[in-house]
Amino acid sequence: MTVTNVDAGANANAVATDALYVYCVARGDGNCLMGPIGLDDRTVYTLTSGPLRAVVHNCPAQPYESQDPQVLQQWIIAHQEVVQAAANAFGAVLPMSFDMIVRPAQAGSAGDALIAWLDEKRDRFCRLLDRVEGKAEYGVQIFCDRQRMAASLVEDDQALGDMRDEAAAKPRGLAHILQQKLAKAVREGVEKQADAMAQDFYGRLRRCVDDVRVEKLRKDDSGMQMLLNLSCLMPDGAKELGRELDEIQDTPGVSVRFTGPWPPYSFVGA
Amino acid sequence: MEPQLPKSYRRATLVDLLDRVLDRGLFLRADLVISLAGIPLIGAQLSLAVAGTETMLKYGMLAEWDQSIRAAGAARRELPRSDAPPGGCQNDTPCQTA
Repeated sequence: MTVTNVDAGANANAVATDALYVYCVARGDGNCLMGPIGLDDRTVYTLTSGPLRAVVHNCPAQPYESQDPQVLQQWIIAHQEVVQAAANAFGAVLPMSFDMIVRPAQAGSAGDALIAWLDEKRDRFCRLLDRVEGKAEYGVQIFCDRQRMAASLVEDDQALGDMRDEAAAKPRGLAHILQQKLAKAVREGVEKQADAMAQDFYGRLRRCVDDVRVEKLRKDDSGMQMLLNLSCLMPDGAKELGRELDEIQDTPGVSVRFTGPWPPYSFVGA
Repeated sequence: MEPQLPKSYRRATLVDLLDRVLDRGLFLRADLVISLAGIPLIGAQLSLAVAGTETMLKYGMLAEWDQSIRAAGAARRELPRSDAPPGGCQNDTPCQTA
């Protein structure tokens, strides 16, 4: 393929848009125009093969990159909104990660390559679509207040309480050593209690949902420790998880974040 | 009493969205996809985008996030791929769809 007589300076608008940005895969036949709802208001439409369609827009064969944080945010949000629009229009969707752009192959167009990919993955995608049909992803994060746990541990635990009282009664040098010992014991106690809580909460939440992914815990410097970071798959709008989270939230020192419904980003991987 | 309701993504933080849109979801096969070398950059840029938002600091997740994106980017770069920008038509009209 040759590009003829393009003066890049004068023809900034004439960049070839022969690649395809892919938002998600859904079921259905017949191509469909979804309108200018894409990244940078690109026109979004579907490409179909067999029982599956991909939701795409035409774009130049280069990744989306920008130095402007605002632009990046808008892209990410636009990506999510197109996936959501596709879910509203077509039912279950398998969302793509950001910046998944099919390039034209030597043997054919980007559309050909995308359709070949859909055909190759057909069985797997149909199985995944069956699995997420009528369901949505919800994010659950549970935090505990370590300081509060430490304080109540010393109050409630006889041995730790005794250590504290003993330290208070000793002369300064010895008290210091005892306090360090106490601090270590409290740290370990809090750790043990946090583990036990995380296991208990996980078991209770697992029963409320169809599937769960355990995500990496995030560090937190505000004194709140993340105990659990879960992505949960369950029927859209189901109430059991919210009820269980209400009960968990009643545990002293524990707080809960609950977000969704999300398209099943966390349930389409290997 | 009505049980706890989730925050919809508009009220959830950008972090929740980034977590999913950048890190998860389906990936294209490496030989089909445009160079993803830009992705680590996006991770770093987005750290600017959300720097100052309380939540981002609170979860302190950026370093980890940027790291994992870089690792993923590095892993992808080991796969065979072509960076050559394809030549192509100058036709900017969207495909005709029915």
